[in-house]
Amino acid sequence: MSNKLNTKDLINIGIFTAIYFAVFYVTGMIGYIPICEVLVPLLLPLVTGIPFMLFLTKIDKFGMVTIMGIIVSLILFATGHSWLVMAVGIPCAVIADLILKSGEYKSWRKIIVGFCIFSEWIMGAMLPMWIMRDAYFDRIRAGYGDEYTDTLMSLMSGWMIAVMALMVVVGGIAGAYIGRSTLKRHFERAGIA
Amino acid sequence: MKEQPSQSLPANAYLNLDPRTKLFLLLIISTIMISGEIRGMALYARLVLAAIPFVLLILGRRAKAAAIYAILFAAAWLAEAFLIYNTKGIANIVIVMLSGLISRFVPCVIMGYYTISTTRVSEFLAAMERMRFPRNITIPIAVMFRFFPTIAEESHSIDNAMKMRGIGARSFVGNPAVALEYRLVPLLMSVVKIGDELSASALTRGLGGPEKRTNVCKIGFGAWDAAFASLAVSAAVFYFVSLGG
Repeated sequence: MSNKLNTKDLINIGIFTAIYFAVFYVTGMIGYIPICEVLVPLLLPLVTGIPFMLFLTKIDKFGMVTIMGIIVSLILFATGHSWLVMAVGIPCAVIADLILKSGEYKSWRKIIVGFCIFSEWIMGAMLPMWIMRDAYFDRIRAGYGDEYTDTLMSLMSGWMIAVMALMVVVGGIAGAYIGRSTLKRHFERAGIA
Repeated sequence: MKEQPSQSLPANAYLNLDPRTKLFLLLIISTIMISGEIRGMALYARLVLAAIPFVLLILGRRAKAAAIYAILFAAAWLAEAFLIYNTKGIANIVIVMLSGLISRFVPCVIMGYYTISTTRVSEFLAAMERMRFPRNITIPIAVMFRFFPTIAEESHSIDNAMKMRGIGARSFVGNPAVALEYRLVPLLMSVVKIGDELSASALTRGLGGPEKRTNVCKIGFGAWDAAFASLAVSAAVFYFVSLGG
């Protein structure tokens, strides 16, 4: 078997990207409920674990995860997210791909790490929330004065980014385990995985 | 095969831009609108950029979407201009958040809606091939768009099958893990099988052959593409100059 992606692999990448995106889209709907937006970084990797683990059993060549990441961030950009999605998503996908490759797409520990890093692309979609922060707080400061503004700023401060990035990791680990057990219980028995 | 939603266009659109122009406009609008500077002259540059998707929607005969967008954006803009300094407490925070979100993100989302809804999949692929995107990207994207309707259809059938067994949406509320297993697993099974058949049929029809693929869609830049692109570029330049000065 050659190590380069052939046409059949490319078609499979398309199929799994479609599934990944559909699942992401349904999960993202939850984000429209105001408070629940915070939960999306946790839920996304949790739910996409199953298709992702199945994806890894179908192909084991370098480039599969990179292409998936490029397409997902390209589509998100084309539907009106900022270019930051691509700036964060594509490097994440490449690094994840390299890690998975070093374990030949079989090493379980590297699969977990790779999946967590791949899922961090969602942070690219979240980042504008912090980038528009300055303009936002400038106006509050004009209306309320320093004390109030500083309290609010410390509440919504940068560590929320770290918390969300951590939520992706937690969701990623859980998602990977859910994915693997589902794979064992259903797909291997059905002869698909 | 059923016709895909993204392949049906209003045939009577007054104007359809090249897909590459749409992506370029999207890049400029999303960069500047989200960065969200509202002081001084930069304000006018943002107004011009926000107007571009509106004009495009009108020219693409999507008057309803254009009207909704105009009302939403105007409301947010007015709220930013007047209400913020005249209200207090919780109301103020809600207004600041809402109007800020709408005036920054909605223009990008509308431009994205315009891009997706007025571009046929094969036009998009033709544009990507012209931009020298490699086959490794274009083939998965083509497959992906072919698959969205399939996923929706399969998911609907699975929903019906589950209802027949008395596993409706209500039983998922208390137990989301069950929802995952009963919906996602059968969906994956059937989609993977359909995918295997699809790749067999695509390969016999010559996808992946060594010859360069051809495309029936005619795409190319026209006067309108130049007009919109230069309008957006000059607004962007004006925006950055006014920030610097």
